Amino acid sequence: MAAGIPSTTSGIRPGWPGQVDRLSTLFGWISAGMIVVSVLITCQMIFVRAVLGQSTVWQTELVTYLMVAATLLGLPYVQKLRGHVNVDLIPLMLRRGPRKALAIVTLSASMLIIAVMLFYGFEFWHKAWARNWKSETIWAVRLWIPYAAVPAGLGMLLLQLAADLWATINGTDKPFNIAEEKD
Amino acid sequence: MDPLTLGALLAVITVLVLFSGVSVAVGLIIVSAGFLMVFDGLRSLQLLPEILFGKLDNFALLSIPMFIIMGASIASTRAGADLYEALDRWLTRVPGGLVISNLGACALFAAMSGSSPATCAAIGKMGIPEMRKRGYPDTVATGSIAAGGTLGILIPPSVTMIVYGIATETSIGRLFLAGVVPGLLLVTLFMAWSLYDTWRKGSADAIAGRSYSWRERFEIMPRVLPFLLIIMGVLYAMYGGLATPSETAAVGALLCMVIAIIIYKLWSPKLLWNVLRDSTRESVMILFIIGAAGVFSYMLSSLFITQSIAAWIGTLDVNPWVLMFFINIFLLVAGFFLPPVAVILMAAPILLPIVISAGFDPYWFAVILTINMEIGLITPPVGLNLYVINGIAPEISLRTILVGSMPFVGCMVVAILLLCFFPGLATWLPDLIMGQAV
Repeated sequence: MAAGIPSTTSGIRPGWPGQVDRLSTLFGWISAGMIVVSVLITCQMIFVRAVLGQSTVWQTELVTYLMVAATLLGLPYVQKLRGHVNVDLIPLMLRRGPRKALAIVTLSASMLIIAVMLFYGFEFWHKAWARNWKSETIWAVRLWIPYAAVPAGLGMLLLQLAADLWATINGTDKPFNIAEEKD
Repeated sequence: MDPLTLGALLAVITVLVLFSGVSVAVGLIIVSAGFLMVFDGLRSLQLLPEILFGKLDNFALLSIPMFIIMGASIASTRAGADLYEALDRWLTRVPGGLVISNLGACALFAAMSGSSPATCAAIGKMGIPEMRKRGYPDTVATGSIAAGGTLGILIPPSVTMIVYGIATETSIGRLFLAGVVPGLLLVTLFMAWSLYDTWRKGSADAIAGRSYSWRERFEIMPRVLPFLLIIMGVLYAMYGGLATPSETAAVGALLCMVIAIIIYKLWSPKLLWNVLRDSTRESVMILFIIGAAGVFSYMLSSLFITQSIAAWIGTLDVNPWVLMFFINIFLLVAGFFLPPVAVILMAAPILLPIVISAGFDPYWFAVILTINMEIGLITPPVGLNLYVINGIAPEISLRTILVGSMPFVGCMVVAILLLCFFPGLATWLPDLIMGQAV
């Protein structure tokens, strides 16, 4: 069942969806790398504060932004792994044809909403960049840098969803990743 | 349209959208955007990316990937099997020692990994074949592990509790403590039922067990102690006020990875990447739902739905326990279909004000909510743990696993009732260690 145990599709698909898969995997590595860096920075922060007795300025903020970026940039990779949980009760009850149609509808709806979020997300980033917004902390980060994860992550997710839609339409992917023999 | 009718319409549409098979996070954003667009105009969509970002821009969220890495690195090693073996060697003289060791191992592993499916898989891989070999009924062998695995979300550190803490702005440390006694209560109930069922079905040989020498008992200890020490260290640092949950979890994650690499020789880059990949997948999935649920609750409050439901329930003047009964039914049904994290993120912000104004303790309620979610993990149609057990013991039918799990659902209902009669079971330990909640 879908909720929780996603089946992993590690194989690379033929054609342009395959190129998108590779790019999403790269995003996945970056996301995983950011999580590891967060672990190390947090440990360094505790060391500086508890052992050296110094105050810490940038660590908490950097780690928080790294986590936001890891989440947003990780979205396409988790989509590629079919790791975003869903409730596949209705798809499981459907026969092959209607199931494929439903998969096309849900993927298209997902693409539409992510495209809307991408549009406004780009605006959100652009405003911070054009007006040179800075965070209200001592570190005063230029906010367009962390905000860039919004258009980057959502843009790549949109591309991954498009690849998945294409692969569902031409039959490379099983709709909802459900094995055919259940028909 | 008045906010209450709007709320009812929203509930129906949310269920329909989520059941269509779209991912939970994207589904929540679709519903939120749709309602905002229709009732608040197209311009309201402009804020959505900012809300998504703002919801994720929270240092407390770091504890989620950190505890997931801790759990994933422990789960990738033989630690589960070692823990199980250690308990078996030490508990052989106890009647029904094997099923007791299995449930004890589940509880301890749950404490180390914070994840229910990981607990099921880690203990079940060894535990189920061994129990069957020694003549335990299939229903007990599989049911006990499926149920024992659910402890992962109750016994601290629990990712589900962290999510509740973040969604309701309650203390994560206090939530963790609130889960301890109810967790032990559940383990005790599970053990009692397993022993009774084994005895009832006449598996006397199973109860006798085999014996181990003291040498055998001590030689396994070095393999299980490091992880137990880390967990104790993490909890000590948190309650000793040395660091926040996120910070201690980061240290715990680093130590667990180092131990997995050194003691369990997990040094091949491929194996390490598997741990990291699984942690990233799980963390991103949960964090995206958290962000999307933030968008969802923004929509709820900007259309005045949350406030109206709370006000409406206030006017009903029902007995608080009747209210709690219906809340439990609602949570139970939601838990049948949705993963715990999604239920908590969607329901907790709406339910908590109602629960508090009815005079219930928010930490006690967190435990009640979590046990409801545990039931959802071993009941169809989603019942994640049932499928995990089915995956590791394919020779046992899903029906047998389900039949075996049902009495444990009964144990959980008994635990909920006991908690209703004695709320102190959840609130005593946090009050003792951290003082009364303000």
